[in-house]
Amino acid sequence: MPSLIDIRRRVRSVKNTQQITKAMKLVSAAKLRKAQEKAVAARPYATMLKQILANVAEAASQNPDGAGNALLAVRPEKRILIVVITADSGLAGGFNANLIKMAHQFAIAHKEAELTFELIGKKGVNYFKKRYTTIAGTHTDKFRNVKLEDAEAIANTISGRFERGEIDAVYMFSNEFKTAMTPNLVKQRILPIELPKASGSVDYLYEQKPEELLGSLLPRYVKLLVYRAFLESVAAEHAARMTAMTAATSNASDVIDRLTLEMNRVRQASITREIIEIVSGAAALG
Amino acid sequence: MSFQIEITTPEKLVASKQADYAEIPGKDGYMGILPGHAALLSELGAGELKVTSAGKTESFTVTGGYLEVRDNVVRVLADSVS
Repeated sequence: MPSLIDIRRRVRSVKNTQQITKAMKLVSAAKLRKAQEKAVAARPYATMLKQILANVAEAASQNPDGAGNALLAVRPEKRILIVVITADSGLAGGFNANLIKMAHQFAIAHKEAELTFELIGKKGVNYFKKRYTTIAGTHTDKFRNVKLEDAEAIANTISGRFERGEIDAVYMFSNEFKTAMTPNLVKQRILPIELPKASGSVDYLYEQKPEELLGSLLPRYVKLLVYRAFLESVAAEHAARMTAMTAATSNASDVIDRLTLEMNRVRQASITREIIEIVSGAAALG
Repeated sequence: MSFQIEITTPEKLVASKQADYAEIPGKDGYMGILPGHAALLSELGAGELKVTSAGKTESFTVTGGYLEVRDNVVRVLADSVS
């Protein structure tokens, strides 16, 4: 039977842990709000760019002598680049593990293709570095403050490699913020670009030729996809961590309750024993 | 009569307001937009974007992007605005 002091020590240690998880929960809640605001603020531009791209693509496709854009070229997928956006830190439930599993399964399913990886976030970097040697690029510490330039730089490298024909397709794996409880895993082919559908074409006056506009719109669209994935991933990360820490805090409460009960039982038993000793001692004297 | 103008960057919506006149730096030169403008799509150049509403003029510096005019709504998708 554990002694009273042992149990007290354990209660204290669980209480300390609980304090940490509680603090992490509060921090994540605050960060989540910020991340969500940022994601919402980025929405109008994304919607408009998509609309414009859809219209321009349609107009450009009507012109038969407009040469197809390099970013739209569909080739047999012999060399695939896998982009994985994980978090830099753990303690967020299945946030990293589920995504990594999904990306790894995809990699195994396409093992006859030549795979390269572009990894964003420490967790994914650590995992894939141990298993694959063909890591094209690693990026860590990008999430504390999501910057457009970071996403653009990554998108530019990817688009560049695709245009030069070094890779045939690019798939991006990331978490999307759906609800605070469950992050949504997303697999997206970012190159060759899948054009958004026009919801009804508009007869624009084109100041530049549609083909020319398309040429400059497409790289921007890739950048936007990466930037959006960044924002979504950060929001989902904080949401997942908040959920995980809420669960951890309530689990700690349960453990403390149980230990306290046990402690009281032990204490009572020792008091009873002492009384018996005294009584029986007195009886023996009398 | 006035029109709606929305200025956005990839990061955020910078402005959304009613305006009477806008002077916009297109890639091939400045364009003036008045209410009821026909649907238009253009690339932006770098330069100063001026929005006039009720006699007051506000100006933004943009560095490229796109301009869409449709149904009396002017949408500016700038790479950056300052």
